[in-house]
Amino acid sequence: MPMVLLKCDKDIPEREKHIYLKVDGEDSRDFLPVSNAATLPGTLSERGCAFCGAKLVIGGVLKDTIQMIHGPIGCAYDTWHTKRYPTDNGHFNMKYVWSTDMKESHIVFGGEKRLEKSINEAFDEMPDVKRMFVYTTCPTALIGDDVKAVTKKVMSERPDVDIFTCECPGFAGVSQSKGHHVLNIGWINEKVGTVEPVITSKYTMNFIGDFNIQGDTQLLNQYWEKLGIQVIAHFTGNGTYDDLRSMHRAQLNVVNCARSSGYIANELKKQYGIPRLDIDSWGFNYMAEGIRKICAFFGIEEKGETLIAEEYAKWKPQLDWYKERVKGAKMAIWTGGPRLWHWTKSVEDDLGVQVVAMSSKFGHQEDFEKVIARGNQGTYYIDDGNELEFFEIIELVKPDIIFTGPRVGELVKKLHIPYVNGHGYHNGPYMGFEGFVNLARDMYNAMYNPLLRLAATDIRGNLNTRFLEAAE
Amino acid sequence: MTTDKIEQLFGYVQERCLWQFFSRTWDRQENIDGVIKTATDMLTGKEFQLETPMERLFYADAKIMVADFKQRFPWIEELGPAQIRDLMHGLKDKLVEFTITKSLNHELNHSLY
Repeated sequence: MPMVLLKCDKDIPEREKHIYLKVDGEDSRDFLPVSNAATLPGTLSERGCAFCGAKLVIGGVLKDTIQMIHGPIGCAYDTWHTKRYPTDNGHFNMKYVWSTDMKESHIVFGGEKRLEKSINEAFDEMPDVKRMFVYTTCPTALIGDDVKAVTKKVMSERPDVDIFTCECPGFAGVSQSKGHHVLNIGWINEKVGTVEPVITSKYTMNFIGDFNIQGDTQLLNQYWEKLGIQVIAHFTGNGTYDDLRSMHRAQLNVVNCARSSGYIANELKKQYGIPRLDIDSWGFNYMAEGIRKICAFFGIEEKGETLIAEEYAKWKPQLDWYKERVKGAKMAIWTGGPRLWHWTKSVEDDLGVQVVAMSSKFGHQEDFEKVIARGNQGTYYIDDGNELEFFEIIELVKPDIIFTGPRVGELVKKLHIPYVNGHGYHNGPYMGFEGFVNLARDMYNAMYNPLLRLAATDIRGNLNTRFLEAAE
Repeated sequence: MTTDKIEQLFGYVQERCLWQFFSRTWDRQENIDGVIKTATDMLTGKEFQLETPMERLFYADAKIMVADFKQRFPWIEELGPAQIRDLMHGLKDKLVEFTITKSLNHELNHSLY
């Protein structure tokens, strides 16, 4: 019976449909976890909201764009500085945060005037910046502010600026995944095709679904430059607003994160006939395969082989040093969705690590098809896991290391289990050859860190007992 | 014997190839048709077209897959063209069954992305 009802879920038995244990003789034709479904009442979800998916994951990455959040200050603050995506222009996107700071009176009387004032103030304060995303949030969507009318008015009055409106309040979907969707589709329909890029190479592509977490984009871009491939748009790591308006001119769309950004790649294929090539950018074996495929598309295979040989010579010995020390470890991956299927085979093939449990916050069934096809038997595959389930799964699989985000990471640290930030990384970048050495190093440092053992030892000795007696 | 060989190739494709898991039924079918046809042509020594962007895409995916097939399953190079075609036809049927016709993914047939 591969769908699993955990003991902690006895009062919410619907959770059984979300937890799968892969066993011999059964496959995804027989069982597939329910996913991208509303979180059940009674389960303490680790998910984010739809607005967060649009702003924090995709839009907020851009390096030349004001991110105006039309709502109370918390929506802006809580999606600022909680991800680390640097830029090559001094990290403009991480230095500043913008909000219309809605208060009760604006909710009662409407917030459109305040939005217009805020947009103009922001452009006046930053006269060199001419691009802006405006996001609705739950309260401003509920009161019906006509955000697009406001942005249209501002653009008519300030012809040198361009504004994209993302109408995706937090309640718009079951998780941050809805925000990815709304931003992707809104952007392709409203902005792609409105700027013509300068073409500098015979070979052009968009690199889609990489958000420059701790420099991922910048690391991979070294490869594309060596290969002579012009990246017209990075969606959206270290990217610019106008580059993304030029996406229609690329010859190829290379997709890393198919969950957050597969929509725009599909639409670029449908509307502009640009093929979509999905690759894995984490891991030596996968990265080499991705480079080979891109080079095969452009007919520059020899260049690709030279690059791969150089990178292997430089980084493989370091990877192998860590492999000797982490192989055989049992790993859990509790992240958003795609990293489950990106990582499960790469850590196994490149580091000899076995993944024993995986949980996805916002993955869809497509993601579970991929990860169950790639993952091991005896491994748990969980949709929208909650804290009590994590406790129980830890007892069941006893992982040696857990890759997850800071929220669940706090739980993991208190249990004295080695933890690595699987979202924003500990010491990234993690993509590419050099990046996977960084991942291996962080894994090694976490597993061999003596502090975990020391933290698990209560040095108070008898003193501890006396406090307990006093409390009793 | 052929079933066993199909299983080996299928296991590889399931584990390695993202093109079989695109978002919608028609994308998956297009990819499976295109990559398997190009790979079959490569394995049987038949000439193939590289004119359109989609032909070049299928070539990129098929080239890596065929190289891995030859490395992991050396028996494939001993097969004649007719046997290769049967084998790849069987692989294609199995991929269509797993990723399209018997897939439990409820989003496969949405009309929009």
